[in-house]
Amino acid sequence: MSDAMADDAPVKLYWEDIRPGLSIETPDYGASADEMLRFARTFNPQPIHADPEMAGEMLYGGLIASGWHTCALTMRALVDGFLSRTASLGSPGVEVIRWLKPNRPGDRLRLKLTCIAAEPSKSRPDMGRCRFRHTVVNQDEAAVMEMEGWLLFARRPSAATETKD
Amino acid sequence: MPTRWFEDVPIGRVLEYGSYTVTEQEIIEFAQAFDPQPFHIDPEAAKQSPFGGLIASGWHTCALWMKMSVPVMIGENNKAAVGSPGVLELRWIKPVRPGDTLRVRSTVVEKVDLKSRPDRGIIRSRNEVFNQKDELVMSLIGQALTLKRQATAMEAAK
Repeated sequence: MSDAMADDAPVKLYWEDIRPGLSIETPDYGASADEMLRFARTFNPQPIHADPEMAGEMLYGGLIASGWHTCALTMRALVDGFLSRTASLGSPGVEVIRWLKPNRPGDRLRLKLTCIAAEPSKSRPDMGRCRFRHTVVNQDEAAVMEMEGWLLFARRPSAATETKD
Repeated sequence: MPTRWFEDVPIGRVLEYGSYTVTEQEIIEFAQAFDPQPFHIDPEAAKQSPFGGLIASGWHTCALWMKMSVPVMIGENNKAAVGSPGVLELRWIKPVRPGDTLRVRSTVVEKVDLKSRPDRGIIRSRNEVFNQKDELVMSLIGQALTLKRQATAMEAAK
């Protein structure tokens, strides 16, 4: 973690500050069985995610989170652990998401984030994009999910227009 | 929805389904839980952002795609659907805004045999989510692990 990422750092990170090699690991996060059931019953009501009894008889011997729930939980960790301190402007997408191992109730996950490329935007001179590799591991250090994709950031305002926050 | 085995799903099959209108309250609630960036949770701050107003988290749009897809693609009795190894080429193309009504077009583009697991294959589908103006807002390649009829019949005969 760089100095700029220290807790309560007042510095907002712009695209210029986020370079290949930047690496971050978040505090742990996860979901309870109730939270998994609530997400699954709203968005992905397959028995393996939404019905504890049936899930017990299925492949993984118990309830597992919808892969989309793991994505959403990981997004929260990404916002709290990194994006809230940046001039984030969203994302154009994710090239690949790999759901490698089940995320079970009570599992404690950590996101390891590494910037692997940075490019200015061709169409928007006020923003740039950075490519990140995301690896989510559980309490046993087993990889639960991997993702690779782009995040958009505002470029640092020029000195002439910069004002005190 | 009856079981559709790997062999039953032809490349090129197109399914069109879903109609889901997303409210401002849902957008804010999802984002407060999972993606609390100002342009997803704060209508006033969102007006000042490059998006010009509140937009849904891309993960919310993914979750709504799943919500619309489960009854159609998986249903209650489709014994052949056994999960997914992940998603390819997820693209958030246009913002989803409060009041937008989403629908899905899903086209089978590839079927992959698994050497490691001869009893199943992966069916890859190009999924497009459109809004009420028929604008493409999101696309992704979904991968459905799907059991084969033949292997399942052999297993049952043992």
